[in-house]
Amino acid sequence: MAGKAQRGHKRRRRDFHVVLGLVLLSLITINLPAESQRAIGDGLRESVLRPFIEVQLIVVRTRARARDYLTVRAQLDSALTFVASGTTLAEENRQLRGLLGLNERSPSRLVATSVIRSGTSGSSSVFRLSASAADGVMPFDAVVTELGLLGQVQEVGPEGSMGYDWSHPDFRASAMIVTAEGQAHGLVEAERGQFREQDRLVLRGTAYLSNLERGAEVLTSGRGGAFPRGIRIGWVGEVARTSAGWDISYYVEPAVYPGAATYASVHIGVPGDALQAAADTADSLAVADGSR
Amino acid sequence: MSAREAIVVASLIIAHLLLRIGFGLGNAAPDLMLLALLLASRSLSLGGGALLGFCLGLLEDAFSMLSFGASVFAFTLMGTLGAQVRHLFVGRSTFFQATYFFLAKWIRDLLAWVVSNPDSREFFVDHVLWESPLMALYAAATGVCVRYLFLKESVSQ
Repeated sequence: MAGKAQRGHKRRRRDFHVVLGLVLLSLITINLPAESQRAIGDGLRESVLRPFIEVQLIVVRTRARARDYLTVRAQLDSALTFVASGTTLAEENRQLRGLLGLNERSPSRLVATSVIRSGTSGSSSVFRLSASAADGVMPFDAVVTELGLLGQVQEVGPEGSMGYDWSHPDFRASAMIVTAEGQAHGLVEAERGQFREQDRLVLRGTAYLSNLERGAEVLTSGRGGAFPRGIRIGWVGEVARTSAGWDISYYVEPAVYPGAATYASVHIGVPGDALQAAADTADSLAVADGSR
Repeated sequence: MSAREAIVVASLIIAHLLLRIGFGLGNAAPDLMLLALLLASRSLSLGGGALLGFCLGLLEDAFSMLSFGASVFAFTLMGTLGAQVRHLFVGRSTFFQATYFFLAKWIRDLLAWVVSNPDSREFFVDHVLWESPLMALYAAATGVCVRYLFLKESVSQ
């Protein structure tokens, strides 16, 4: 009897130590360096969770195939018209660049990819892309849809990559808006809504007297090298707040709603583009600063 | 844990991953992972419950980029609590089961919120006082259904 009670007591003590150890380990997991957390996440995604990711890929592909044929046909027609008119523009551009003595733009290409979202807790704003390192995808490449900027690649693996959309708290993009006075520049970042569906973009740091019209197109400026120049972010909305004569912030109506994106393209070849853009925008910045 | 309970728990975990990751349903699907943990931990030792919680939390956090570890912490504690509850309460009524699942889901969300990255977590009132109780009701209703549909014998024992 006494031996049984002693064994029970021993077992409870061992259980207590196991629990204590696991709680400590879970707290350590929270505070691990980001690289280690990524490695653990990668390992799980490429092993235990792999079959479920494959199922999601199949579901996404099936949904895409079930899309209205006429919609896809119309998109193809629009794309063909755009390509046809672009041939003349490209030739004119080449001639003008030759006359002005400008260098050729660094080559860039788009890699088509599926956008897959996990429904697990804590994974909001994060998506998985089917494009991987084998396709030439690199961390910090821009992820775009036909409507505009969706987000940015963060981690690249051999079987896929992970990225976040513009609603992520770390998202930042240098932006430009073409106005009657020249160009206005600012920084676009996400602002949390009361619920995640109310998240929106805010353009900060524009000159106080820039007076942007509602509906003006907001494009990436290419400054900082994070995104290539000229990708649509959205359109200027209402004034968010002003900072007593210094600067003014605007809400931006996003071009792409993250939840609606199932297919996208990864923009590869950013660094060269960004350098070129930085050189090209040097004069336009002076215009923006002048209006300040 | 009986073979039947083990099969139900494994099925709930697979269904959770299939619905939330495979079909991308998110919160439209109930938190079956937590239900699986709660059902299993009542038949496991304190350490076993915590270990199962730790492993399930890792799976839940595999897609988390800002608050990695929050679910691990919450699930580990819930596994421990689930195993401990067995020694404190022996209730098998529908009301007890529903309350047990409801409170567990609520506490799990609260624990995860507390240790989440302040930059990424939602506002306390909206998440913990509005969204979470609704999700807890959903989980409780599902839990009671699972219990009566698949584990009827263990309920009536």
